[in-house]
Amino acid sequence: MAKKKGDEKVNQNPQSDSEEHNFGEEPDFDDPEGFVDDIPDEELLADLLEQKPKESDGYENVIVVDGCPQVGPERLEKLQSVINKIFSKFGKIVNEYYPTSENGVTTEWEPPAPQPFKVQSDLQWYLMDPDAYDQFLVGIGSGVALQVWQNALPEPVLLQERPNWTETYAVWSPLGTYLATFHWRGVALWAGPKFSQFQKFFHPEARFISFSPCENYIVTFSPTGDRGEDKKLIIWDIRTGQEKRSFPPPDEYVTWPIFRWSKDDRFFARLGTDVLSVYETPGFGLLDKKSIKIPGIRDFSWSPTDNVLAYWVAEDKDVPARVTLLELPNRTETRSKNLFSVADCKIHWQKSGDYLCVKVDRYSKVKKDKNDIKYSGMYYNFEIFHMKEKEIPVDSVEIKEPIQAFAWEPVGSKFSIIHGDPANVCISFYQVNTGQAPTLLKKFERKPFNHLFWCPSGQFIVLANLGLTGGALEFLDTNDFTIMNVSDHYQMSGIEWDPTGRYVVTGVSSLKCKMDCGYYIWSFQGKILRRVMKEGFAQFHWRPRPPTLLSNKQQKDIKKNLKKYYSQFESKDRMRSSKASKELVAKRTEQMKKFVKYREAKTEEWNEQKPRRLELRNYVDTDSLDADQANTVEEVVEFFVKEEQTIIE
Amino acid sequence: MDELTVKCLFYADDQIILASSACELQKMIINVNHSVKKRIMKVKKPLMLQGHERAITQIKYNREGDLLFSAAKDSKPNVWWSLNGERLGTFNGHGGVVWCLDVDWQSINLITGGGDSSCRLWDLETGKNIATIKTNSSVRTCNFSFSAYQAAYTTDKAMGHPCEVFIIDTRTIDDSVSTQSPILKWEITDSKVTSMVWGSLDETIITGHEAGDLIQWDLRTGKKIHSIKEHTHQINDMQLSRDGTMFITASKDQTAKLFDTSSLELMKEYKTERPINSAALSPILDHVVLGGGQDAMEVTTTSTRQGKFDARFFHLVFEEEFGRVKGHFGPINSLAFHPDGKSYASGGEDGYVRVQSFDQSYFDYTFDYNRD
Repeated sequence: MAKKKGDEKVNQNPQSDSEEHNFGEEPDFDDPEGFVDDIPDEELLADLLEQKPKESDGYENVIVVDGCPQVGPERLEKLQSVINKIFSKFGKIVNEYYPTSENGVTTEWEPPAPQPFKVQSDLQWYLMDPDAYDQFLVGIGSGVALQVWQNALPEPVLLQERPNWTETYAVWSPLGTYLATFHWRGVALWAGPKFSQFQKFFHPEARFISFSPCENYIVTFSPTGDRGEDKKLIIWDIRTGQEKRSFPPPDEYVTWPIFRWSKDDRFFARLGTDVLSVYETPGFGLLDKKSIKIPGIRDFSWSPTDNVLAYWVAEDKDVPARVTLLELPNRTETRSKNLFSVADCKIHWQKSGDYLCVKVDRYSKVKKDKNDIKYSGMYYNFEIFHMKEKEIPVDSVEIKEPIQAFAWEPVGSKFSIIHGDPANVCISFYQVNTGQAPTLLKKFERKPFNHLFWCPSGQFIVLANLGLTGGALEFLDTNDFTIMNVSDHYQMSGIEWDPTGRYVVTGVSSLKCKMDCGYYIWSFQGKILRRVMKEGFAQFHWRPRPPTLLSNKQQKDIKKNLKKYYSQFESKDRMRSSKASKELVAKRTEQMKKFVKYREAKTEEWNEQKPRRLELRNYVDTDSLDADQANTVEEVVEFFVKEEQTIIE
Repeated sequence: MDELTVKCLFYADDQIILASSACELQKMIINVNHSVKKRIMKVKKPLMLQGHERAITQIKYNREGDLLFSAAKDSKPNVWWSLNGERLGTFNGHGGVVWCLDVDWQSINLITGGGDSSCRLWDLETGKNIATIKTNSSVRTCNFSFSAYQAAYTTDKAMGHPCEVFIIDTRTIDDSVSTQSPILKWEITDSKVTSMVWGSLDETIITGHEAGDLIQWDLRTGKKIHSIKEHTHQINDMQLSRDGTMFITASKDQTAKLFDTSSLELMKEYKTERPINSAALSPILDHVVLGGGQDAMEVTTTSTRQGKFDARFFHLVFEEEFGRVKGHFGPINSLAFHPDGKSYASGGEDGYVRVQSFDQSYFDYTFDYNRD
């Protein structure tokens, strides 16, 4: 097996793709005709040959024969030939071993003792909370201390806190199983109820990571590390910790993640110049051994729910720009649309995969100065692809104003756009319809917002103004567009919904702003629940949850019986808050008792000092405000209130 | 701006919604919306005392509370009718910032100290500058004793001169005070005095220092009795309780603390997220008011909407915040409760003094605890 692998590698080299080994122009190193190489390999690379893999090094296929008779040296050979005869039928025997005693007698073979079973702590423990409390991560300092909290009632509970847990920052894996931290030697993953180390990946100075959506693989990128040029980008198997494949660094500045995964971890793809390279797992080779040639490809994005990706190619002279949907692995183009006068495109998949929106920046005029391209008279199209309908119909919405932001409702059929000049920023909500163009549901004018944050379960949205001059917040119910609350968190730098859509967190990170760092927790309808001011607060992340395991029917049943559950939850809540308030009342009562006792002692002391006080103030009693009535002089002070002139006829 | 609100910041835990992740929340919202009660109490329109051209440094009521005194960086302390905010007069004489002032218990004399290296005594009725004591550096704090037979003032460590504490005789105040030598004086060798109060019976003074120390001095000997360090940064203000048995400190370390006047025992702590410039104790209720903001240097980077400049009300015993009053455009530098406890005044970096009366809801507000 080992040898075969080696062969594969050698054979692959000549036909490997140009983008992988692009050496450019080289001087002619060809031997003259008729040249005979007279240096033997042994002389040239003796040191390397020593390491040449031998067939017998491999342990891929092993047969263990037990229950063999114990024989003396004289009959060993015969036993060997019998055993050989039986087992050579199953393949070529490369190596064999017979345990023998000193004098050549075969001995009893000791089977290896079974390794004690190493209990893997429950990686899904955080989902087992009976009250469905979510967890969140708080990073303090420039990624030094990390805290993991449980958002319990009546107040969050600190589960873990470690100083120097990471050197830069920390992230959750996409389903929430692992917590990834960064260290100078590489990346570490933590999991289980104790957040014990689950895996570490040796990749010095790794600064970027990305997980595959099903958490099978992790990609680490070390732009400056010293593991070699071809090991700047490494893909690892998370469970085994094995390096699956490494890549040289990208040629130029690219947006992270470089590798984008299909929803099921089956494929990952990377954008190149005029090519799209799709790789397949678990082999980690190129799909069908070659990249897909797409001249002018600018960007692509996988559907979050299907093995379909959308890409767009730029205009080229008379060829229009085009958006294409590509199904994999069969490479079928399921839909494409030509677009004219295109300056740029942005691909937005709806989280449920039902719709795709391509925001198209279009121009009326273009001016080309040498290498500079200047567009003017910009207007914007939103091309909506209905993924779940036959033939994938495409609708189009045009807006002639600058676009600030676009966001799909994660579940449902609405999308929202922030558009307009800085002086009059508007927010529009559209509804996607079947067989009919999207309809404008609501337009809010003159709003100070620049970001949209939909609730993960849809319907609710937070409109926000992020940045050093920002802070405004609005909580909106898009069923009837009632503004549930208007508030602010001055200079907030980020917003994150909890995975269930019950809570929203706004934060001011010390990475963005020096003053008043901290985070606020709000209910989804904009009620402030908690303010946490923390010097050096840097990051906040809710722990993600995997998708629900309940079937659609089960979910429907729950919704139908919501009343029943509601009363259950409500009584539980009431008990909890009454317990909490009881505790608070008890605490206050205790504090007050202690304080009253102190005051009684002090008052007694004070009363005893009365003669001295009188002495110090000429025997005038000033102990209370009106104690000194005898010395009070009633003084009438007149104030001018108002003057009124009335002309009497 | 005229209608100010005191918001009661109850994080109302019972309002949090709990639902399993699969549940649709819509139906709950209606219910919850009904149950959300906004706890906002309106306070009356404040009196705005405009008379200073620069930041207010200290404000104080006289014992009866009919007069309110204010000192500012503009060299002219003012006296106002606290009832209607009308200015009664000014005290002209200082040649620079006036850092501190105090009025004696009979409202006869005023003592002030300032950046022009002088401590001055004034006749309240006429506004006349009776005596001027020249000092080597700025006068940072000054206070009459309980009997007003003595007064104390402290100077800054500056221009090669050490920080010093002076006790002077003020039994008779005339121009001889300008030249008479102090009863007692001593040097502070380490961090300078930034605030000061008298112990209750003319026997001690307590100084608050730049490094956060509190020191109690015996005035018969000029020796330290107690020295503690409960604050990590400068103590900006110290105010006695009505009976003088407790005092509250306001520190740049973002906390205010309550101490026992005789033992300097730490009783309570009130935490905020900004430097505190002033703290006052209600004479009638278990309430504390704190004011601050941030260093004047950084003010331009802040919006007033942020609530950085709010006066913040805490429960004296439970250390819980229960209300805020907006109003100032800059940090609050000094706060004082009216002696009747029914109003309070605040002086800000913005140059305004605001007199704020409480309305009935403030007095009706109670905390739940067992009163047996």
